[in-house]
Amino acid sequence: MILLRFAPALVALLAVGFPVATHAQTDTVIGTPTAPLVPGRAAPAVRGIAIDERIADDHGVVVGDTLRLAAEAGTRGELVRVDAIVRRAADPSEVARSEYRVRLHLDQLQRLTGSEDRVDRFAVALRDSGESVDSALARINHVAFGFRAHASRDVAVESSRTFQVVDRFHRAIGGITIVASAVFLLCILLLKVEERRRAIAALRLAGLSRRTVALSVIAEAAVISVVGSVIGAGLGWVVTLAVNAHYQRLFRTPLTFAVLTPGITLFAVTLSLLLGIVAGALAAWRLVRTPPLVLLGR
Amino acid sequence: MRATLAFASLWRHPMRTLLAIFGLAIAAALLIDMVMLATGMRASFKSLLTSRGYELRVTPRGTLPFDTEATVGNAAALVASLRAHPDIERVSPSVGTTVQIASTRTTQSGSAFALGTQPDVQGEYSVLSGRAPSATDSTLREVIANTVLLARLQVSVGDTINVSVGRSAQLRLSEVAERAVIVGEARFLYVPPGLPAISAPLRAVQSLLGEAGRDRISLAMASIRADSGGAAATSARTEAVRTWIEQTHARVTAISTETAIVQVEERLAYFRQLALILGALSLVIGVLLVTTLVSLSVNERLGELAVLRAIGVARSGILHQIMLEGLMLGFAGIAIGLGLGLITARWLNAILRDFPGLPADLDFFVWSPEAAWKSLAMLLVAATLAGAWPAWRASKVRVAQALREEAIG
Amino acid sequence: MTATTPLIEARNLVRRYRTGATDVAALRGVSLTIMPGEFVAIVGASGSGKSTMLHLLGAVDAPDSGQVLLEGRDISQLSDADATRLRLLRIGLVFQRFYLMPTLSALENVELPMAEAGASTTVRRERAKSLLSFVGLGERTDHRPSQLSGGEQQRVAVARALANKPALLLADEPTGELDAATGAALIALLQQLNRDGLTCVLVTHDAALARSAQRVVTMRDGQIVSDERVAEPVA
Repeated sequence: MILLRFAPALVALLAVGFPVATHAQTDTVIGTPTAPLVPGRAAPAVRGIAIDERIADDHGVVVGDTLRLAAEAGTRGELVRVDAIVRRAADPSEVARSEYRVRLHLDQLQRLTGSEDRVDRFAVALRDSGESVDSALARINHVAFGFRAHASRDVAVESSRTFQVVDRFHRAIGGITIVASAVFLLCILLLKVEERRRAIAALRLAGLSRRTVALSVIAEAAVISVVGSVIGAGLGWVVTLAVNAHYQRLFRTPLTFAVLTPGITLFAVTLSLLLGIVAGALAAWRLVRTPPLVLLGR
Repeated sequence: MRATLAFASLWRHPMRTLLAIFGLAIAAALLIDMVMLATGMRASFKSLLTSRGYELRVTPRGTLPFDTEATVGNAAALVASLRAHPDIERVSPSVGTTVQIASTRTTQSGSAFALGTQPDVQGEYSVLSGRAPSATDSTLREVIANTVLLARLQVSVGDTINVSVGRSAQLRLSEVAERAVIVGEARFLYVPPGLPAISAPLRAVQSLLGEAGRDRISLAMASIRADSGGAAATSARTEAVRTWIEQTHARVTAISTETAIVQVEERLAYFRQLALILGALSLVIGVLLVTTLVSLSVNERLGELAVLRAIGVARSGILHQIMLEGLMLGFAGIAIGLGLGLITARWLNAILRDFPGLPADLDFFVWSPEAAWKSLAMLLVAATLAGAWPAWRASKVRVAQALREEAIG
Repeated sequence: MTATTPLIEARNLVRRYRTGATDVAALRGVSLTIMPGEFVAIVGASGSGKSTMLHLLGAVDAPDSGQVLLEGRDISQLSDADATRLRLLRIGLVFQRFYLMPTLSALENVELPMAEAGASTTVRRERAKSLLSFVGLGERTDHRPSQLSGGEQQRVAVARALANKPALLLADEPTGELDAATGAALIALLQQLNRDGLTCVLVTHDAALARSAQRVVTMRDGQIVSDERVAEPVA
């Protein structure tokens, strides 16, 4: 998730990503015209563009409408026709960025922005000639004149730094939460077993061996942990639905924010089971070593 | 006496009590961290924005400062108009671009962020050594560079560099590259760590950009004249000036510190909400721990409590004593949790500060005594209330019945 | 109050308990008058209602009907707070299982009722020490109950019951958990207190022990079946 961008070095070099400006007044919200884009009359010379679903939703623009598009507020720009409405891909780097997007032909954007025959970047596909990406890169950069080539994988690594940070943060928070839950579970299970001290004393007085009593205590704690974690997983699943619905609405993206995978469920159940067994064993060890009459308070 | 009894009751099962305190400490740590995260981002961002006294930022319509490559034309007229406003004290225009830089002494070269400012009013950097470039230069002759650039190019103050836009500085083509002297070292407030940056006079950078930069700026920062009316009056005048700018200049958006914070908070809503949820969960965990522990302790001691009632201890006395147990657990847990929380906050802050593109001075977890005490008080109140239910049950113990059951049991 | 005014008087006490689906009448219209300075033993088999009687006399429980008058004042319908205060200041209770606070020292256990009554630390500490000396535990004030024998624990319980100088001492099977010799020593202690003017009521199922009292009240099925004076209480 991209959060803050101050430095131009991080400005995405998107050939088709420009804030929409119209002849109408815009408001103070960054990148979001409030006054509706005014549909005009379609003219034959008018070229087609694709617009973001957000613009269509916010301003009631439909395919076939004519808009005025300018690179800078207050300038004339040119009339364009909406040929398509585009739904944004579920791109995590777009999350939390609320500006509109329009897509238009390269020459049209160059003319509109006065950038002549300039581009921010272009993609190069290598022929199947056996040359490695690295040697092609070196060759291009050796003769570079005003540009630099990067391997797609390096660009991907750089642009995924944000997610790596978020991922590390989530892992850290997750780690803390797991430790907290583990201590909590251990504590509660220990207390719950201790609560049964009278029943355990009665079993011991009835002649059950320490081993049998200890095993029954451990088994009970394990069953409680597993049942609890399964209920917790169900609850977690409901929470993921709520989280996804909330953030998809908040950030207007089809992106999935929380996923409960079988792996996570298995991890939760296994961890709970282990903790249950540890807590049960700890409590049982203490209780079976204490004489039954002491457990009864005599 | 009650405190002695409460303490002694907790100490009767040291392992149980220590585990509960540890659990509570983790809950407290998590709560403190989440409060620091929820309030710290705002505080840190605000202090960053207001560090040089500029309350308003004027950007190309519909953009955030340096969020896109968009610029505003006719900048001189815009800046003059802003400076003529009676409530505006200072205006600092700037233009940003990416340049190629090559050292004339070493063989090092690379790209850097170049910021054109008016050195006498700029609010973008602070000089660490040397001096700011001469304000009157209209062509690139002097620059001030950040530490990252000096290190990367292996140059120092006094060295000469070649600066070019859109052409490879490696070629050292005299017709496209300007030669400039590094006159100082600076810390750039809004530049992310690890990004090489230089600053030169606005007109010099505009001329470097050629036609694309003629009389164009990326941002103008404005400070509002202070008066005796206090913060509320200044805030009202800032808003009035902001509205005036947007009404008078259709090409720009004026953002006040407050609205910038609101916008950043919108973008950071995820973290704030995550903090809120985890903080609330910590509270629930804390409450559950205390309630469970104290409930069990009460259940085990019903006979004892009945005896206390029988020998004349009032209901309120029992209530106080049991609640005191919850409070003691809370205090111990919070004391440990405070230290634990500060350590984990540093760790989490270090992780989040790795976000690409963030100013070096922005923090996510900020220690604010008020927020911390509020969260700790919240946890303490929660722990006390958590002890209240078992305490109430304990105080309602039926003396005769409990004594009878004790005698039979 | 004159010598002819009863210290405590039970009038037609009825108390029922519900155990599962059955109603058990623990007391079926019991009346009893105890004069100041008396040493009364209430005896009876298990379930005869003697402990219930003691709880009603001590304002620990309230009757379903009937009255309990302590020093002429009806205490059967007191609010919980008033009954608690009365137990704290006017009645001393001793239980079969001692019921000392296991986490407090002997001294602190004796101090507890005085602290609740608002006595200063100095006053209550001094009195607790002197009471423990009186019951023969002057050297063991800092010991926890678990470090004391049964007899010693019960003597601490007696000292605790005496803490706020009660008018009436109620003891429920005080020797039930003690061996014969220790039990006899405890009875001697109670007799000593009685000789010093304290009214004592003792509940026991041990007829032999009851003979150490001046008066023996026998209960059966929730009613008093005999009330006899002992010519020469066993010392």
